[in-house]
Amino acid sequence: MIYLDAAATSFQKPVTVRRAVLDAMTRMTSPGRGSHPTASRAAACVYACRDRAAHFFGVAEPQNVVFTFNATHALNIAIRTLVSPWDNVVISGYEHNAVTRPLAALGAKVRVASGRLFDQESVLEDFRRLLPGAKCAVCTHVSNVFGFVLPIREIAALCRERGVPLIVDASQSAGVLDLDFSDLGAAFVAMPGHKGLLGPQGTGLLLCGGSAEPILFGGTGSQSIDQTMPEDLPDRLEAGTHNVPGIAGLGEGIRYVAPRMTAIRAQERALTALLAERLRGCEDLELFYAGGETQTGVLSVRSARHNCETLAEELAQNGVAVRAGLHCAPFAHRSAGTLETGTVRLSLSPFTTQRETERAAEILCRLVRA
Amino acid sequence: MQYSLILCRSLTYAQRAARMLERAGITATVRRAPQGASDRGCTYALKLRTSALARAVEILKNAGIPLGRQFHIAEDGSLREVEA
Repeated sequence: MIYLDAAATSFQKPVTVRRAVLDAMTRMTSPGRGSHPTASRAAACVYACRDRAAHFFGVAEPQNVVFTFNATHALNIAIRTLVSPWDNVVISGYEHNAVTRPLAALGAKVRVASGRLFDQESVLEDFRRLLPGAKCAVCTHVSNVFGFVLPIREIAALCRERGVPLIVDASQSAGVLDLDFSDLGAAFVAMPGHKGLLGPQGTGLLLCGGSAEPILFGGTGSQSIDQTMPEDLPDRLEAGTHNVPGIAGLGEGIRYVAPRMTAIRAQERALTALLAERLRGCEDLELFYAGGETQTGVLSVRSARHNCETLAEELAQNGVAVRAGLHCAPFAHRSAGTLETGTVRLSLSPFTTQRETERAAEILCRLVRA
Repeated sequence: MQYSLILCRSLTYAQRAARMLERAGITATVRRAPQGASDRGCTYALKLRTSALARAVEILKNAGIPLGRQFHIAEDGSLREVEA
């Protein structure tokens, strides 16, 4: 199988990740619940991952790195902390349902800084126009549909100037693009562990600039007399037993990615360029490709003659794994004008090879021409 | 050898404090605080040599780590609260 669905979940993981998961399942129990060796090993493992993530993402205090089940969980905490019903919230036009559904559930008044696809300046201009009066802003770093890199540093600077707290969805950028929490000055940055960080599914991180409101209540192994959640992070947001095997794997994923990120980014961009070049020769296929610094290793395409779901199914039958449809991001499709058709998304990972890329392009062209 | 305890507000704070002290050449182990040491239920503590207690508290306070009560551990295991 040629796996080109890394924007959903990275499939190939470093061997160290698999070993760490197995080791945790073999020798560890739950951190913060005992002094016996299995609990102590779990505590050390969880802290090591927390500390590594803090260093990697420029978080000054490791306790401000909170483990979550995924990016959606992290975004829900951040949004619930900062947004109340009827609040004005500015979002980019490329947000995932992980952002827009919690906002809708809260009854927030959402204003969309849509901007044009691959036009960073137009997105920035829309944020500049809409930020006054906003209670909060939420912006994805990279569109999960198009790989469009939003100008997050500039948007963060605008938010700081206007005193509007910013939540960054780093689901598609963590482990691929440089991301410095202290530098951004964001209120929160949310990310999954199972995409670019190459960790297991069921892991995520929330980087916190300050305290946050829990959405899950329960035991933390601390201050057990109190019937309210502890004030201190990370306990305040980490009720219940941790996903220790997942966190162990995530720690190794970060260890693998950290020294290789520049090379990973360059390789993914080069192979995306190759993919686009090969697909350009394929009539009846519309490519959403800008290349350069404004796109990561995610490429959406669509065909006027082929339904995107059918095309993805045919690709799967021919050994190419992709994702089709709206990718849980109707706002992104509305901004790009693809809401009616959806797209077929091909997304690369650090383990994608040139041969696989060429072969996938060849198969896709053949199917489109059929 | 005389030992002391420094209560911490959470396991994560205790782990962070232990690493910080290790870098300063002070060995401290993270352990669950004995029953009754905290009036808020379960918590974690650093166990370290009493001779290093005052310096450890100074280092951690300077680093902004929130600290709880401090105790000397008697030979019979009982705790006597102290102020380093």
